[in-house]
Amino acid sequence: MPMVLLECDKDIPERERHIYLKVDGEDTRDFLPISNAPTIPGTLSERGCSFCGAKLVIGGVLKDTIQMIHGPIGCAYDTWHTKRYPTDNGHFNLKYVWSTDMKESHIVFGGEKRLEKSMHEAFDEMPDIKRMIVYTTCPTALIGDDIRAVAKRVMGDRPDVDIFTCECPGFAGVSQSKGHHVLNIGWVNEKVGTVEPEITSKYTINFIGDYNIGGDTQLLQKYWDKLGIQVIAHFTGNANYDDLRGMHRAQLNVVNCARSAGYIANELKKRYGIPRLDIDSWGFNYMAEGIRKVCTFFGIEEKGEALIAEEYAKWKPQLDWYKERLKGTKMAIWTGGPRLWHWTKSVEDDLGVQVVAMSSKFGHQEDFEKVIARGQSGTYYIDDGNELEFFEIIGLVKPDVIFTGPRVGELVKKLHIPYINGHAYHNGPYMGFEGFVNLARDMYNAVHNPLLTLAATDIRGTTAATSLEAAE
Amino acid sequence: MNSEKLDQLYTYVQERCLWQFGSRTWDRQESIDGVLGTASDLLTGKPPALETPQQKLFYADAKALVADFKAHFPWIADAGPAQIRELIDGLKAKLVDITITNSRNGELNHSLY
Repeated sequence: MPMVLLECDKDIPERERHIYLKVDGEDTRDFLPISNAPTIPGTLSERGCSFCGAKLVIGGVLKDTIQMIHGPIGCAYDTWHTKRYPTDNGHFNLKYVWSTDMKESHIVFGGEKRLEKSMHEAFDEMPDIKRMIVYTTCPTALIGDDIRAVAKRVMGDRPDVDIFTCECPGFAGVSQSKGHHVLNIGWVNEKVGTVEPEITSKYTINFIGDYNIGGDTQLLQKYWDKLGIQVIAHFTGNANYDDLRGMHRAQLNVVNCARSAGYIANELKKRYGIPRLDIDSWGFNYMAEGIRKVCTFFGIEEKGEALIAEEYAKWKPQLDWYKERLKGTKMAIWTGGPRLWHWTKSVEDDLGVQVVAMSSKFGHQEDFEKVIARGQSGTYYIDDGNELEFFEIIGLVKPDVIFTGPRVGELVKKLHIPYINGHAYHNGPYMGFEGFVNLARDMYNAVHNPLLTLAATDIRGTTAATSLEAAE
Repeated sequence: MNSEKLDQLYTYVQERCLWQFGSRTWDRQESIDGVLGTASDLLTGKPPALETPQQKLFYADAKALVADFKAHFPWIADAGPAQIRELIDGLKAKLVDITITNSRNGELNHSLY
């Protein structure tokens, strides 16, 4: 019974293995959704491609690096500018996009010359930029363009530049998750250990799996500065290319997003003996616990307690104001994977919010083990959910607010259910103490927005009733 | 062993602790042994091992866990060393069972990360 075949899935019964309804007395030994598996024909997946996982999620965040996308222009455009990861150097990564703009003739006759020319052009146009990542895409992978050989030639012509190649076309895996994997492993194989970082503190960490969405990295950096902890590399929020080449010198890897970057943390542990500490950076209780653990590792517990006390004094009253008004709100989380397990208990404990449905685009079974352990009974846990399933689930659990991406968000807005951008945030940052107040504020403004009722007004007779009902 | 008390600890750890959910079988076993072994030391008054970076990390996780146990389960302050060791051993066994032995996670034994 707890694996659920929705009415809309009656013609694709394989979907039953991907949707779980938790009931009391069961655990992940009994049921665990299939995940990181190919999308079933007949379902309209919300997933991205593997190239997107490498470029949009991880590589494209870097603030000093040309992102040369070897493929048709759409691959570049669709992985540019949508994620809102600012930088402290004027948002270089958000301002520019680079592509070899492959056309039919290049596919027929090969694109390596065009790639080489594009790489030189990009460096010539931006003489201050000396770092580049080159990505292959579906068509250039299929025709066998050797981007590594081209990168080698360009580095030979330009001794002052360094280039990383990421050979992860869109079809490499079942979702964007494969792109995370390929970039992680490629980077640790080829680039980690090639730069010696300047060490400025007795305490050094890498902060892994945080992409400065809405300024998350910059907010957390204030904490590390107060604690006297040097972050050798943020992987990859607000980071420079060369920061990530010195990751081997950190004493501790602190991991937030274990899905997109757990691979490099595991490899750094295996190859360099750097231990891996997984934390939750969203939520008061979790953030305090993460700071305490990092400080315990370095033996600077008093500093950590002082920081936590200071932040609680500043932000807890505001959090409590929102908690009072959000208590009992029913929330759905339809994002990538890890935010399901990062958020479900933090919104419950810190805001009194009940999470009634969660869907993951690219989570693996490890993510479902975590979220089912943390989430409530009576909640739906969905892998690779599709549009019709979302509508059916909405009817079953009736959420007051949905944290998801703009595509699904636009759908649910038509039902007069408010959505918050769960990927790039509405008004972030959302991490840390201040960030979680921001999340609470956005949720409060969404749920209590008077426009929800006003926008449901329809003078055309019977349709008005439907719209008003949806808004109530 | 008091199974009610063991269940309280187990439920708390399952819901709270990320260290039990490492990527692979060996990561999970190492963390469960390391964190709970250190927690047992802390709860029974033994000095924890702090020689290697990994031991320091086990200590960091265990210290937070022990503080939580004491805050949520006041009875633990009255438990003697033998009872603590028995409970922690039972907790280890339950966690190994759900996260390793009977886990349905198909990626746990892949040789590569």
